[in-house]
Amino acid sequence: MSTSPVKTANITTAQMAEQVLDQVMSAGATGDLIIDEGETLSLKARDGELEEYKVSSSRIFGLRVIKDGHIGTAYSEAVDADALGSMVGQALNNASFGKVESHENILPNADHLQTDDELLCPQEQVSIEQKIEMTLEIESELTAKDKVKNVPYNGVQDITSQRQIFSSAGLNALTRSRMCAAYAYALAEDGEKNAMQGSSQVSRLFSDLNASTVIDKTHEKCIGLLDGKPVPSKHYDVIFDTECQVSAFGVFAMMFSGKAAKDGINPMRDKIGSAIADSRLTIYDHPLNVDGFGYHLFDAEGTATKKSELVVDGCLQTLIHNSATASYFDTETTGHASRGPRSTLGVNLHQVEIAKGSEDLSTLHSGEYLELTDLTGLHSGANAISGNFSFGASGYLCKDGERIQAVRGITVAGNFYEMLNKISMIGNQQNWDEGRSALMPSIRFSDVAISG
Amino acid sequence: MLNSKTAESVIDHALSLGADFAELFVEKNETNVVSTLSDEVQSVESGINFGIGLRLVYGTKVLYGYTNKTDQDELLRIASVLAAKDLRDPVSTLESFNFNQISDIHPARKILSVDAETESKIAYLMAADRAARAAGEQISQTRGSCMQREQHVEIFNSEGLHTNDKRNYIRSSLTAIASDDGEQATGSWNDGGLLGWEIEAGLNPQHTGEEAARQALVNLTAKPCPSGRMPVIIGNGFGGVIFHEACGHLLETTSVAKKASVFHDQMGEIIASSIVSAVDDGTMANEWGSINIDDEGMPTQRTQLIKDGQLTNFLVDRIGAQQTGFARSGSGRRESYKFAPASRMRNTFIEPGDAKMDDMIASIDKGIYASHMGGGSVQPGTGEFNFAVTEGYYIENGKIQYPVKAATLISTGPKVLKEISMIGQDFSLACGMCGSISGAVPTTVGQATLKVDDILVGGNA
Repeated sequence: MSTSPVKTANITTAQMAEQVLDQVMSAGATGDLIIDEGETLSLKARDGELEEYKVSSSRIFGLRVIKDGHIGTAYSEAVDADALGSMVGQALNNASFGKVESHENILPNADHLQTDDELLCPQEQVSIEQKIEMTLEIESELTAKDKVKNVPYNGVQDITSQRQIFSSAGLNALTRSRMCAAYAYALAEDGEKNAMQGSSQVSRLFSDLNASTVIDKTHEKCIGLLDGKPVPSKHYDVIFDTECQVSAFGVFAMMFSGKAAKDGINPMRDKIGSAIADSRLTIYDHPLNVDGFGYHLFDAEGTATKKSELVVDGCLQTLIHNSATASYFDTETTGHASRGPRSTLGVNLHQVEIAKGSEDLSTLHSGEYLELTDLTGLHSGANAISGNFSFGASGYLCKDGERIQAVRGITVAGNFYEMLNKISMIGNQQNWDEGRSALMPSIRFSDVAISG
Repeated sequence: MLNSKTAESVIDHALSLGADFAELFVEKNETNVVSTLSDEVQSVESGINFGIGLRLVYGTKVLYGYTNKTDQDELLRIASVLAAKDLRDPVSTLESFNFNQISDIHPARKILSVDAETESKIAYLMAADRAARAAGEQISQTRGSCMQREQHVEIFNSEGLHTNDKRNYIRSSLTAIASDDGEQATGSWNDGGLLGWEIEAGLNPQHTGEEAARQALVNLTAKPCPSGRMPVIIGNGFGGVIFHEACGHLLETTSVAKKASVFHDQMGEIIASSIVSAVDDGTMANEWGSINIDDEGMPTQRTQLIKDGQLTNFLVDRIGAQQTGFARSGSGRRESYKFAPASRMRNTFIEPGDAKMDDMIASIDKGIYASHMGGGSVQPGTGEFNFAVTEGYYIENGKIQYPVKAATLISTGPKVLKEISMIGQDFSLACGMCGSISGAVPTTVGQATLKVDDILVGGNA
C-alpha cells in the first residue's frame, strides 16, 4: 500500500496529526490517532550516593484505521515523514486481513476537549537538588534503621505525560498529567532471619511527598515480618490489606469487561441482573473522583465518563463498554474505551470504588483472622476466566485486632468469584491504595483455604 | 542507524564532562502481531520502535537518558543534563571507534522486513484452531497469536567499541478455553525462537491445537488441589521456571552486587544437591533466549552456573563486574533503549540426569506431579519464590490419581535446590518473557522432569 509522505519539518503535532488523518481519509478510510508524549526523571541511591539518574523524553504515534469495516492499527516512535507515511500504509495493509467489524466505527465526535492542567499537571518550584536529597534521605535513613541490612530498591520519580487524541470526525482531545513518586524496598536481617518489604507514595506535587512516611512504613513492614512462620493449613477468615485487596480485584477486573464478554471469555457475560456477590457488596467505577490517579474526564474515544454502578447490593448491573462492544450488545457506551498507541480498541476500568459497609474496626477485627499484607505470583497464579487462584502470601495471624503472629511461607487459594459470596463483613472506612488507583473499605472473607 | 561522527561528538562531550565511561545504544525494531479469535482474525498490528539510550558512568553511579530523536544537539543536551551534578575535569579520552562486525550465529531467513507472511501465519493459527475444536465439543473458544520482531541495535562506547546486531524473534501461541455447565478452564501451547517465520516448518498446527485443547479439557475435570508440604515432580521444559526463579535471578549481579541475593557471598560453595548442574547459555543456535552479543556489545557465551551442586559463576554485566570483581559473562541485557542494561538470564537450564519417570512417580506416597508450569516470581533478598501449576496431578501410593487445579508451589531458592533428588532424561527447553530491572527480555527455561522432595503446595482442597 503506497502513501504520500507526511511532511514533518517545523510543524506542530496537531498539524502532523491532521496530515496523517488526511492521508487516511484520502485512502477512503476513517481513523483516529493517539499521540503520547512524556518526560521522566528517575533517581535511585545506593550506599549513600546517587546510583542512577535517568532522564527521558519520548513520543509515539498510534493510528487506528477503519476501511470498509476492516480495522487496522500501526504505530511509530519515529516521527519523520517516511515513518509516519509508512505507519499509515501499514495500518491500511493490516486492515485488509481483518474480518468486517460492523460494530466498530469512529464516533461522530468533533469535540475539542482538554483537562485542567492546574489540577492534573500542577507545576511547582522544586530543584533537582531537592529531589536528589529526598532520594538519598530515603536510602540512608532507612539503612540506618534497626536490623536493616540495605535498601536495594529505592527511588524518586517525577513523570509528566501528555496524550492527544485526534479523529477523522474532528475529535481533538488533550490531557496532561503529572505523577511524583517515592518508593523503597528494604532487606532486614536478624541472625538467620530476613525479610524484604517495601512501600511507596504518589502525589501530583513533589512537595506533597513525605520521605518519612515511606521510610517508616517500609521499616515497619520489614520488622513486622522478620519472625514470620507458616500457620497450620486450614480455612481461615481473611482480611487483605488495601494493597493486596486492590491487587486481587485488579487481577479479576476482566469480570466487568464487555470486550471479554464479546469474545466469549467473560464468565459474567450472562449474569447481568443476577446476584454474583454478597448482598452487602456495591462496586462503582468512579473516574470523576479527582483524589485518585484514575481520574478521567473522557475515555479513549472522547466519550465523557461518569460514575458507573457495576455491582449494587451484590447484583451485577452492567459490563463496561466502548462504542463497539456497546453496539454489539445493543446498549450504550459506558465511557470505558481504552486504547494505547500500540493497541487496538478495548475497555478498561478507570478507578474502582467499593462502597463502605457498616462494620467498625473492632467488629471487623473480632475473633481470629489472617491479615494478608503481601501476595506473590499475582501475574501467574490467577486465571481470570475460571476465577481460580493460588498466591504466595505473608501477613499476620490476628485476634481481636491484635497481631499475635507474623506469618510467612503460606499460600492462599480459592476461586475469586465464589469468594465474592463468602464475605462476612465490610468495614465502614474507605482507603486508597498506595498508587491511589482504587478506593475500598476492608472486606473480611470467610472460609479461605490457607496452606502452611 | 546513527552517524559515527555524531556518536563520536556525543561520547567526546560526555567524557569532557568527566564521565569515566560513555555508551550509546541505538535501537530500531519493527514488530508485527497477528491475533485470532477462534476462526476469525481478531487483529493485525504492527509498528516501529526507535530510540537512543545514552549511559554515562561516574565511578559506580549510572546516569541514563533516552530520546526518540537522532539529532546531535538533542543527544548533547541529554549528556549535559545527565552530567550536570557530576561535572569534573576529564578523566579519560575516547579511543577511536573500531567497528567490529560480529558473526551471526543465529541466522534467520524469513524475516519481517522482507515479508510479514501474514497469510501464512493466519493459515497456521486457523488450522490450530480447527484441531483444538475437533478435540472436544467442550472447547468453546481459542485465542491465537503470532508475534514477529526484527530488532536492529548499534552500540558505541568510549572504549572504541562500535558494533551492531540484528535479532529476529518469532513466537506463536494458542490458548484453548473449555466450558461446561458454567465452569471454564484453559490450556495453552506456544513455541518461539531467535529466527524468522521459517520456524513454520517445525510447527505442527494439529499438535498445537490438540495440546492446548487437551490441557483445557484436563483442567475442566480437575479437582481442588491438596495442600501442604509434600514431594513434587516438576515436568520438563517450562518446569525449568523453578530454577529460573529459585536460583537464576539470585545469580544476577544486579542483586548480587547490592547484597540483595542470598547467594552473594557463596561463590565456590555447595548451594544445591550434588546431582544439580546448571547453565546459562546464549550460544544455543536460534533459541528464544540466545543472542550474538549482549546489549553492551560483548559476545555471548555459555556460563556454567552450578557444577555438581557447587556455585561456579554469576551472571555479570559491565557494572556488575565493576562492583563485584567477577568477569563479565556477556549478560548485559535490556528490553529496549528505554532501559540501562543489567545482568540478565538467556537460555537457563538444569542439565539432564539419568532417572526414569516411572521411578519418580513410584517413589511418592502422597504428592503432586506438576506436568506444566505457569510463571512465577522471586524476592531476591530472601530467596522466597512462587510459581503456578497450570496442569497438575495428585499422586498417591506411587500412582497418578486425578488432575488438580489452582495450585501454587512456594519455597526459597537455597532450600529447593538442595531438595532436588532425581533428575530425568527428557530434557527440553521452553520460551518465556522475563521481567526485571531492565525490562522484559526473551529468556528460555529448561530441564528434564525432576523430583523435589519437599515443597509447599498451595491448593484449596
